[in-house]
Amino acid sequence: MDQILLSLMIFIPLLGMIVVLLLPREQEELIKRATLAFTLIPLILAVYLFINYNTSTANTQYFVSVPWIDTFHINYHVGIDGLSVTLLLLTALLGPICVLASWRNIEKGLKAYMALFLLLETGMLGFFAALDLFLFFVFFELTLLPMYFLIGVWGGPRREYAAIKFFLYTLFGSVLMLVAIIAVYLNSGAPDARTFDIPTLITLASTPGHALADPGFQMWVFLGFFIGFAVKVPIFPFHTWLPDAHVEAPTAISVILAGVLLKMGTYGFVRINMAMFPEGLDIFTNGDGILGHSLALLGFINIVYGSFCALAQTDFKKLVAYSSIGHMGFVILGLAARNPEGINGAVLQMFNHGVISAMLFLLVGVLYDRAHHREINGFGGLGSRMPIYTGITTLAFMASLGLPGLSGFWGEALSLLGAFQEFEILTILSTIGIVVGAAYFLWTLQRVFLGALNPKYEELPEINRREIVTLVPLGILTIVLGMFPSIAINMFYVSVSNLVGIIN
Amino acid sequence: MVVPLISIILLAPLAAFAIFALFGLAKRSFPRQDILSTAAMLVALGCSLYLLTEVVPKPDPYTVEWISLGSVTFSMGFYLDSVTVIMLIVVTLVSSLVHIFSIGYMHGDPRYPRFFAFLSLFSFSMLFLVVSDNLLGIYIGWELVGLCSYLLIGFWFEKDSAANACKKAFLTTRVGDVGMFIGMMMLFKKFETLSLHGTNGIFTLIADPAKFTGDTSDIVWLSGAGVLIFCGAVGKSAQVPLHTWLPDAMEGPTPVSALIHAATMVAAGVYLTARMFPILTPSSSLVIAYVGGITAIVAATIAIVRFDIKRVLAYSTVSQLGFMMLALGAGSYVAGLFHLTTHAFFKALLFLGSGSVIHAFHAMHAHHDEEHAEGNQHEHDDHGLVHEHGSEIPPDQDMRNMGGLRRKMPWTFGTMLIATLSISGVPFIFSGFWSKDKILAGVLGRAMEWNSVHHYILFAVALVAAGITAFYMFRLIFMTFFGEPRNQEMHNMAHESPWVMTVPLVILAILSFPVVNTIWFNKDYIKPPDQHHVQAPQHADISPNNKTGKVDFGFSIFGISEAHAAEDESENADDAHHGHGPAHTIAMVLSIIVAGLGILLSWLFYHKRRFSAESVATTFRPVYTLFWNKYYFDEFYNGVLVALTVWKSRLFAKFDLSIIDGIVNGVATVTRAVFAAFIGFFDNRVIDGIVNRVAKVIWSVGGRIRRIQTGAIQTYLFVVLGGIVLIILIFRVL
Repeated sequence: MDQILLSLMIFIPLLGMIVVLLLPREQEELIKRATLAFTLIPLILAVYLFINYNTSTANTQYFVSVPWIDTFHINYHVGIDGLSVTLLLLTALLGPICVLASWRNIEKGLKAYMALFLLLETGMLGFFAALDLFLFFVFFELTLLPMYFLIGVWGGPRREYAAIKFFLYTLFGSVLMLVAIIAVYLNSGAPDARTFDIPTLITLASTPGHALADPGFQMWVFLGFFIGFAVKVPIFPFHTWLPDAHVEAPTAISVILAGVLLKMGTYGFVRINMAMFPEGLDIFTNGDGILGHSLALLGFINIVYGSFCALAQTDFKKLVAYSSIGHMGFVILGLAARNPEGINGAVLQMFNHGVISAMLFLLVGVLYDRAHHREINGFGGLGSRMPIYTGITTLAFMASLGLPGLSGFWGEALSLLGAFQEFEILTILSTIGIVVGAAYFLWTLQRVFLGALNPKYEELPEINRREIVTLVPLGILTIVLGMFPSIAINMFYVSVSNLVGIIN
Repeated sequence: MVVPLISIILLAPLAAFAIFALFGLAKRSFPRQDILSTAAMLVALGCSLYLLTEVVPKPDPYTVEWISLGSVTFSMGFYLDSVTVIMLIVVTLVSSLVHIFSIGYMHGDPRYPRFFAFLSLFSFSMLFLVVSDNLLGIYIGWELVGLCSYLLIGFWFEKDSAANACKKAFLTTRVGDVGMFIGMMMLFKKFETLSLHGTNGIFTLIADPAKFTGDTSDIVWLSGAGVLIFCGAVGKSAQVPLHTWLPDAMEGPTPVSALIHAATMVAAGVYLTARMFPILTPSSSLVIAYVGGITAIVAATIAIVRFDIKRVLAYSTVSQLGFMMLALGAGSYVAGLFHLTTHAFFKALLFLGSGSVIHAFHAMHAHHDEEHAEGNQHEHDDHGLVHEHGSEIPPDQDMRNMGGLRRKMPWTFGTMLIATLSISGVPFIFSGFWSKDKILAGVLGRAMEWNSVHHYILFAVALVAAGITAFYMFRLIFMTFFGEPRNQEMHNMAHESPWVMTVPLVILAILSFPVVNTIWFNKDYIKPPDQHHVQAPQHADISPNNKTGKVDFGFSIFGISEAHAAEDESENADDAHHGHGPAHTIAMVLSIIVAGLGILLSWLFYHKRRFSAESVATTFRPVYTLFWNKYYFDEFYNGVLVALTVWKSRLFAKFDLSIIDGIVNGVATVTRAVFAAFIGFFDNRVIDGIVNRVAKVIWSVGGRIRRIQTGAIQTYLFVVLGGIVLIILIFRVL
């Protein structure tokens, strides 16, 4: 029974999609409720998995492996470890929140929107559970198409440009990844012993003398996967799709984009690049020259570059988008450190950034729905008009700028602490991002909420109950994980220790 | 009993805040938030007093593992020694009195409940900082008090000046905090822990040759870490060059200035530096001493020329914090902390007294309402990150509108006079004299003992600053309470404040006498911790001054031999039995002379009007201009640092948009052209696989997306679904 839970969680949204498609188009309330139900079930299952996950072992749990395409030794192999169960929970949590956030502001084609959203959710959940390289790739691609339409059809004025840019960028990355996957498959053994199975490949890649263990080979496939994931994260200079996609995407899709899709990049990096190609990783993280510092350098660039770009933005949503680039830089920096502090910090940062950036995009959406613009300088003094909204925004900003006591702090702090063991100068330089991060958030807070109330917005309605419901669970998470980060860390530190063992 | 009591101390104010937040989410407010918050604080005060009986000489920390990463763990916990308990009492006592005062002062404010909730949150954070046994916990409390400071400075956020001030405070202190975090990372790299006390704490490990060999590179590393952690204190305790936020923080309500920006939060930097005492090397100590000394004199000179009563007190606070840092840097552990506690009481009193004066003019609410009304019509402009800070002084805070208030407000006048006598260092019966004297004696003692030019200079600087302190404080008293009213209209409105405000003043006035500070004269109660950093048994016998078994490593940054640090710190703190009699006597005599001189000059200038301050200002125009413009720190920061940052950010954004994104779009255009030619040349069917996909997206989807209707998407979805099923079936068959 337990074995089927994971697959059930993955495919219930797909089932939901079929159900939604069969419902009559006019029944909008029904469609919304059905979608909500089909996203709540995976959430319940994810919570169940989270609670029942055995944290004392790094072994894969709840795994299912059945042959799928025998000719190419492709299996339907899914399972979870500490890392994936954490991100599955994040994904499943954001599902219903996004449905609620789409409750009132999808003006056309609600049915198709909800159906695509459910398809997207299956893709994301499957991705984090897949343990077969081919399946992994299928789910990876499965998120791409619905995302393309969700931005391209329901987005803002420049939606077509943004959607195509997003699609081509990601496609460019996944082509390289596909080539790497095929290369790994072909080198995995004799023609009838080839495999796509991730755990098997990890073992093979660290078997001395095996073709997969060759450092030269590892370097090239490492790069192939890396670029594929780097586009998703996004890592400088592959990041320019992100601000455009965010600005054009509807609120809920921005939430998914920042909350989950970016994590697919870093998750893939941990799962494939780090675990499967330790020799390749060595070249880019463990050496004296520029090459040995390259990954940390990219993390540093992301942090500082993203933060400075965010400081210059006057579009609220674009600012949050650039801040995401900066915050994902801490993940890269932490992973580059390869030690328990760094990697645990990075994984924690993935989860916390998912929660916090989701809050930020929801909050931007709340304001946009009322004022119909996002120009930071066009507001002012909203603090006296919308005290609750201001309070929640302050919480989210503080969490995002890494205030201790809120969850954002721990991921950043541990990543930096880990990175400092390996790259002292780069880490010290990266802390510039912490100051600039505070600067853009506080400056925004001032321009939007402080000062005298802009007379244009004297009648702006306060945040409503539905919107509060979408924000409160995330707010509670930032506070609780801010005080007790071990709730999250305990889920994955054993898996991370195992990974650290493979790397070193 | 210790853990439950500390838990109550922390949870009571936290609960008061949580209740406010929960009610707030339901768009309501708790009926008597003021009583709730005040009661929580009184409970914490009671528990703190009880903890006095629980102090033991060599306490172990109470820790619990907070984060485990397998091989590395981080713990959280409480540490209760005599210094902790004194800090607890100071914080809870001042906080309780400020709560009570605020019931009167903030009465009628539209956000009255919120004010008390924020005070509660602040008290929790501050107390958490105080009781934490490790750097991580201290850092958490440290940043949370910063948040509360931000929220309370910006309490009247409709005022642009308040909105600017709170942002400035947060960002300036964050610069220091980042330094502190880097220092923590350095300590972590060396010791693999952030705990301070206990068997696995840094203070124990530092004496362990396996962890810390004590060779030059280790000492350099430790000095660096010490200075960087001190950076946090520079920010929070408003030391030069990060002091500029504190005077602006006076935009907050006056009780906030008393509690956060005079008595407790700004003293947290002093507390932190004292806590880190065992890891301070002579080099880092000297940096601390110089920063403290420079701050003491710079802020004092700025204070002389201010007219805003709150700004005078703010610069005075900066200056006094400099004294405390100087003491710690000169190794006078006890003196620094002693001054922290005496200063907390008399400076809180001075601020609350000034609040009482402001309240007397009854302009606070009127002013606030007026601002509020004005704000609505206010032309809404683009706030820059750079601000020209207006030097207009609110009329109710301008000493040039005051005068002769002593008869109208006898309680306020009497209590403020006591505080002024205390801060000015009037001998023997006021606490401020004793603590300041201890600092001066400590610095002079070190100078004589080490024969150190640095410390002679610092002693001279401190002495001058002490004289200036007496001068500007009496200037404040004379301008406010003596002479004839300068603004008759406002004077007529003035009245003594209600008892909820005067009672806290009286209590604080009593606390400004040394009788309650006798704890500091008890030599056994507070013992300075050892500074282990140069202890290295393997060299013990080659040291020339091997009095205490500690040695000279010959390492020095500032020309002082590290060996001197080997002297037992208690020699300075406890000067009686180590032959510092002369230092103490000289310091005491000199400090009495400078205080007397300062008061005399102030009397001649501002009461007798024997000299004219204006003509002196004209004669020494350049000096006066420098003081008036606060040494141009703000101009430098706004004009150079902030402007540069903003300029750089715009440059980055432009680069991102035109170069990086330009390349991306360029590649797309080229690709598109190439594919167009390619497709035109070959048959469509030739192109398969990946190329086909790319081409299709660019060519067909790109062109057709405009026409995509939702119906088409449904078709698409069915096709996708069908496709998946089909693929599975096909592969199955194969």
